[in-house]
Amino acid sequence: MGANTQTRWWVDAGVGYIVIDNPPMNVLSDENRRGIREALDDFRRDEVGAVVLTGAGDRAFCAGADLGEEQQLTDATVGTFLARGEQTFQVLRAYERPVIGAINGWAMGGGLVLALWCDVRLGSTRAKLGAVGVKVGLMASNVQLARLFPEGRARDLLLTGRTVEADEAYRLGLLSSVVAPERLLDEATSWARGMAGRPRDLVAAAKRAVNQALEPEPAR
Amino acid sequence: MSRLESAGIVIAAVDGRCAGPDFERALEADIRLAADAATFSAEGVADVAACARRLARLLGEARAKEIVLGGRTFDAATALRLGVVTRVVPAAALTAAARGLADRLAGLPPLGVAAVRDAVRAARGLTPDAALALEHAHFRRLVATRDHRRAVEAFFERRTPVFTGE
Repeated sequence: MGANTQTRWWVDAGVGYIVIDNPPMNVLSDENRRGIREALDDFRRDEVGAVVLTGAGDRAFCAGADLGEEQQLTDATVGTFLARGEQTFQVLRAYERPVIGAINGWAMGGGLVLALWCDVRLGSTRAKLGAVGVKVGLMASNVQLARLFPEGRARDLLLTGRTVEADEAYRLGLLSSVVAPERLLDEATSWARGMAGRPRDLVAAAKRAVNQALEPEPAR
Repeated sequence: MSRLESAGIVIAAVDGRCAGPDFERALEADIRLAADAATFSAEGVADVAACARRLARLLGEARAKEIVLGGRTFDAATALRLGVVTRVVPAAALTAAARGLADRLAGLPPLGVAAVRDAVRAARGLTPDAALALEHAHFRRLVATRDHRRAVEAFFERRTPVFTGE
């Protein structure tokens, strides 16, 4: 069990839980990104079999970067800003155990990137996903969407930045399951326990294999 | 089928039967919409290999093979399920839907739209690291643009921004 001012995490029955807690919209910050990384370190020591990542409250999973912070970026600081974000995403991707994103509300911009780096995404009926970068003249979640989805869908979502509600997200495969808000954590726990109960080496190998399958095939 | 271009993005609005060269032209668009009575078929396309490659990129391998090798005519609902189109509307609403989408694209920051289009196009041929490096290069450039600043200011002031492509 651990916490910092914007993140809480604990272990229950072999499953690690991380809650991003930065009200009202759970925007990304150094503090909660560090919290996610520390939680995963703790979980590795506790030998958890799967991880559930969610947002506090019922409005947002994670609303992405702090636009105020983003506006202050200069040529000198933008590199560090990107690298710090990337560090956390890569830790999720490289983590040996499956990470389940429990999408309890808005996942937009950098918050969508965070959701897309989870191995499986489940949503409540309040889940709303959007690759909103383009709406503010930026580009985010491009790499993840273009690789997780066939190009036709990626173009639609990235070029319009439109909001995808839970039922459409389920139909598109952005979410693997949609349940009532009060049932979301139970649903995530059930998926996590299922994964934690399977041979760990096999699950880790499967995650690694899928990660590597995204590499382009060598030319023939 | 009609084609509409906005902010450098091509929208295809499919009405009626879309096969052969029409189907190829529809696949060349960035975004496809269809009327509920539209039908689709790969039959009669001029360049089967190019069509197959395009479909595999747009929809994934299994669906591309189903369409090209199966050779069946499919309806708008199937096209939506397969991802050939991203939206189906009643025939009477098709023009308005395409126009609405074009207007929405025209209201977005042009440099961001162009960056997304180019990066999506490039992503498939790149390793994940190279694709990410490309995305970050775009981000660095875009975050310093006047349009991005305008968008953030408008967000905090709760008004609709106007972009100029700077």
